[in-house]
Amino acid sequence: MGSHGNNLFGAVSSSVEAVTRPFHCDAISQQIRTFIQMRTNLKVVDNSGAKRVMCIQAKSGKYGAKLGDTIVGSVKEAQPRGKVKKGDVVYGVVVRAAMKKGRSDGSEVQFDDNAIVLVNNKGELIGTRVFGPVPHELRKKKHLKILALAEHIV
Amino acid sequence: MRLEKCWFCSSTIYPGHGIQFVRNDAKIFRFCRSKCHKNFKMKRNPRKVKWTKAYRRLHGKDMTQDSTFELERKRNQPERYDRNMAEQTLKAIPLITKIRHHRLQKHIADRHKPGKKKELERDNKELEQDINMLPKKVISKAEPLKMKVQVVPPQTQENLMEE
Repeated sequence: MGSHGNNLFGAVSSSVEAVTRPFHCDAISQQIRTFIQMRTNLKVVDNSGAKRVMCIQAKSGKYGAKLGDTIVGSVKEAQPRGKVKKGDVVYGVVVRAAMKKGRSDGSEVQFDDNAIVLVNNKGELIGTRVFGPVPHELRKKKHLKILALAEHIV
Repeated sequence: MRLEKCWFCSSTIYPGHGIQFVRNDAKIFRFCRSKCHKNFKMKRNPRKVKWTKAYRRLHGKDMTQDSTFELERKRNQPERYDRNMAEQTLKAIPLITKIRHHRLQKHIADRHKPGKKKELERDNKELEQDINMLPKKVISKAEPLKMKVQVVPPQTQENLMEE
């Protein structure tokens, strides 16, 4: 029972795993991407003032947060005059995840990095702008404000 | 439902297949299978990878300009549904695919022609020069070459007498 993490998802529970292959290839580009869990660093893509947040807890999900889930994080890096400071505990919505997310039409989407948008415990946005592409998975999770502010919906 | 093209190899991606990768500048890369996806992650340029359509079109291996490609041009305006037009389009699709296939095969065959001619010339030259390399048994057994000779009627005594 304890090894169901391996059986179901075929991945060791670590955010990053360098796969060693016999032929020459950049190990970084061949990483197996998994969930967003404790100690995962995420980029903040709104203008709330924070730059980097480290995940403390994934609010839902046994193995970690996926695209569209909410996490609790600690602000590790912040801009000098912003709404949040370094060391604050904040909630965030994952808007870009390096791990593939399956869609109902059978296709799979994956992004270039892990990014979040800061939110308060009621689900309201702290910032007023969102940068970069955003998936339409957020519509199902009722994060309509984020979709409204997004530059590009994928 | 839309049939996309793989970014790397240009094959069609049917629903339920492949992965979309979204870069931070919002550019979407679609891949038909993990082979193409992995090549992309290795930062290979499809124009340099021999088995992709991009390479073949760039190096003139496949035909690039043809009227049969017009049917598949991406149209961003959805067409108003018309039963007649839909019926005609569905009838036309297999015909046009067949024509395009034939034209492509012809293009490739035409490309091979000068090469075949050269091969024939080379073979003839080798036969001329190196016939002695063959064992004597084979040469003697070989039929004498049939050559066209103009037949001149033999001058009989009568003809000679006439002159």
